[in-house]
Amino acid sequence: MRESRSTSQSNKRWAAALICLALLCPALVFLSICIGSTGISAGDVIAILTGHGGEEAAVSIIMRIRFPRAVAAMVLGGALGLSGYLLQTFFRNPIAGPFVLGISSGAKLCVAILLIVFAMRTGIPGSISMIGAAFFGALLSMGFVLLISARMRGKPTLIVAGIMIGYICSAATDFLVTFADDAQIVSLHNWSKGSFSGMDWGDVRVMSLLTVLCFAGILLLAKPISAYRLGEEYARSLGVDVFRLQVLLVLYSSLLAACVTAYAGPVSFVGIAVPQLIRALLRTERPQLLIPACFLGGGIFCLVSDLIARSIFSPAELSISSVTAVFGAPVVIIILLRRKGAV
Amino acid sequence: MTAKGYRMENLSAGYGSRVVISGVTASVLPGEILILLGENGAGKSTLLKTAAGLLQPMGGELWLNDVRLSEMSAAQRAAEMSVLLSERTDAGQMTCREIVEMGRYPYTGRFGILSEQDHRIVAQAMEATDTAQLADTDFGKISDGQRQRIRLARSIAQEPQVLLLDEPTVYLDIRYQAQFMRLLRTLCRERQMAAIVSMHEVGMALASADKLLCLKDGVVYASGTAQELRESGCLPGLYGVETETLEPEYGTELADYLRQSFGIGGK
Repeated sequence: MRESRSTSQSNKRWAAALICLALLCPALVFLSICIGSTGISAGDVIAILTGHGGEEAAVSIIMRIRFPRAVAAMVLGGALGLSGYLLQTFFRNPIAGPFVLGISSGAKLCVAILLIVFAMRTGIPGSISMIGAAFFGALLSMGFVLLISARMRGKPTLIVAGIMIGYICSAATDFLVTFADDAQIVSLHNWSKGSFSGMDWGDVRVMSLLTVLCFAGILLLAKPISAYRLGEEYARSLGVDVFRLQVLLVLYSSLLAACVTAYAGPVSFVGIAVPQLIRALLRTERPQLLIPACFLGGGIFCLVSDLIARSIFSPAELSISSVTAVFGAPVVIIILLRRKGAV
Repeated sequence: MTAKGYRMENLSAGYGSRVVISGVTASVLPGEILILLGENGAGKSTLLKTAAGLLQPMGGELWLNDVRLSEMSAAQRAAEMSVLLSERTDAGQMTCREIVEMGRYPYTGRFGILSEQDHRIVAQAMEATDTAQLADTDFGKISDGQRQRIRLARSIAQEPQVLLLDEPTVYLDIRYQAQFMRLLRTLCRERQMAAIVSMHEVGMALASADKLLCLKDGVVYASGTAQELRESGCLPGLYGVETETLEPEYGTELADYLRQSFGIGGK
C-alpha cells in the first residue's frame, strides 16, 4: 500500500470503484438469469425480459424462478454486507459478522420453531411472521453476545462467545429438524442449510422494502458512525448520542441478518468478508462511502456465490454457505495475518 | 460580575455513586493554560472528563462565560469545547486530513459533508500545528509526536473556546513534550482559548502552565502559579515524597533530580 494519497486521487478511486460496483450488480443479475440447467440463449432472455414473449416454459423459468432468485441474492447479499459493516463498527472488531456472532443461528432456530409449530397445525406461515421470528431470534443471540462482551472486555472472547452461541442454536435446530416428522421438514432441512432457491416475487418485494428502508436509515447514521470510529468518549464530546447510536446499530444489523435468515437460511462469511474487501478496494473509512459500497459488494458476492452454487455441479445444488465460505474464510485469515503485523 | 473563560465552582466528580474528587473551585481565562497535577488515581482524568461534560457533575456548577454547562445542549457544548483524550483508537486507513476534518463535526450538516469554509479551517489548523505536509498520510503511519499534533489540529479545527486535554504528552519523549506544550501555549494565546490539561511530568507542567491545580486524596491540595507552588514547597508532599530523607532514599543524583523537578532548594 502506498504511503500517501492525494485528495483528487482518492476521489477518482472512489468514483471509479462505486460506479464499477453499481454496474456489476445488474450485469451479474442478467448473467444469473442467463445461466441455468435449462439452456436459454441470452437473446431469448432479453426478449422475455422486455416482454416480447418466448416459449411458455422458458418464460416461466426466467420470470418465476431465475429472475426473482437473482434479485433476492443481490438484495440479501447487500443486507449481509451492511449487517457485517454495522457489527464491525459496533464491536470495533474486524472479524465480527452476523454469522460468527451467532446472530444468524439464533434467527435460524426461531424460524425453525415457528415452521414446525405451524407446519403441524396450519401450514407454511407468511413471510412477515418468518421475519418476525428471525428478528426475535437474532436479538436473543445478540443479547447474549452483548451480555458476554460487557462482562469480558476483549476481542477474542467476543468472537468465541458468538461462535459458541451459534453452535448451541444450530444443535437445537438440528434436534428439532430430526424429531419433527412432517412433509414440511424436507424443505425445512434444505432451508436450514442455506439457499437462495424458491423465492417468488412476493418474497422479493418484502425483503427489498425492508432492506431499502434499513439502508436509508443507516445512511442517516453515517455522520455519527464516522465520529464513533474514533472512540466512544470522543464521539460523545462531539455531541453524538452514543447510546442511541449503539441501539440503532444493534437493531439494524439484527433486522438485516434476520431478513436474510428468514428467506435464505444461514449464509456464512459474507458479513465479515465484504466490508473488509470493500475497505481494501476503496482505501477509506468514510461511512458515507462504505455503506453504499458494502451493500453493492454484498450483492455482488452473493450473486457470484449463488451462480457457482447452482451451476458448478448442475443440476445438483451446493448450499450457499459452502461457496461463500470458500471465498470468505481466506479473507478472514488474511485479515488476522495482517493485523499481527500492524499492531 | 461578568466572568470570561471557564470556571468550576465547588465541583464534585466521580463515577456512579462514588465521589472521586470534591470541592474544586478554579477558573481559566481565555489564552490561559491550567494544568492538573496529582498522583495516579488522584482524580485528574475524572475531573477533566466532568469539566468536558462527558461525566455528570456530582455537585457544584460549571460555567462557560456566565452560561451554565448544564444548560447547554450536547451540540452547543461540542461547538464551544474540544476534548483530546488519551484513549487510543485504531484509525484504520484514515488520513491525517480526515482526522482533522472530524473537528468540524459540530458545524456540518446531516451527512457530515464539509463546506469550502470547513476545508479552509482544516487547512489552517494543519498549518498552525505544522502538520500540513502530513495531510495525505495515513494517521496510523506517523510518529507519536506527529500524531498528537494532528489531534491538536483536530481540536483547534473545532474552533472551541475551551480545550481539555487528558495527559496529552504521556506517549511523547521529552523533546516532543516540550514541542507540544510550546505549540499549545502559542495556539491558546493566539486564538484566545482556555486550556485545561492533566499531566504527569511535574517539571514540564511548572514550565508551561499559567496556573496549576494539585489534586490529592479527593480534594484540591494546592493551587496557584508555578512560582507560588515552588515557593510554598508543597509539590513533594503532593506525590508523597519526604524532603528530609531524599538522599538516603533515592541517592544523591536522583535526590537532586527530584529537587529540580519540584523547584525546591538550590542546585
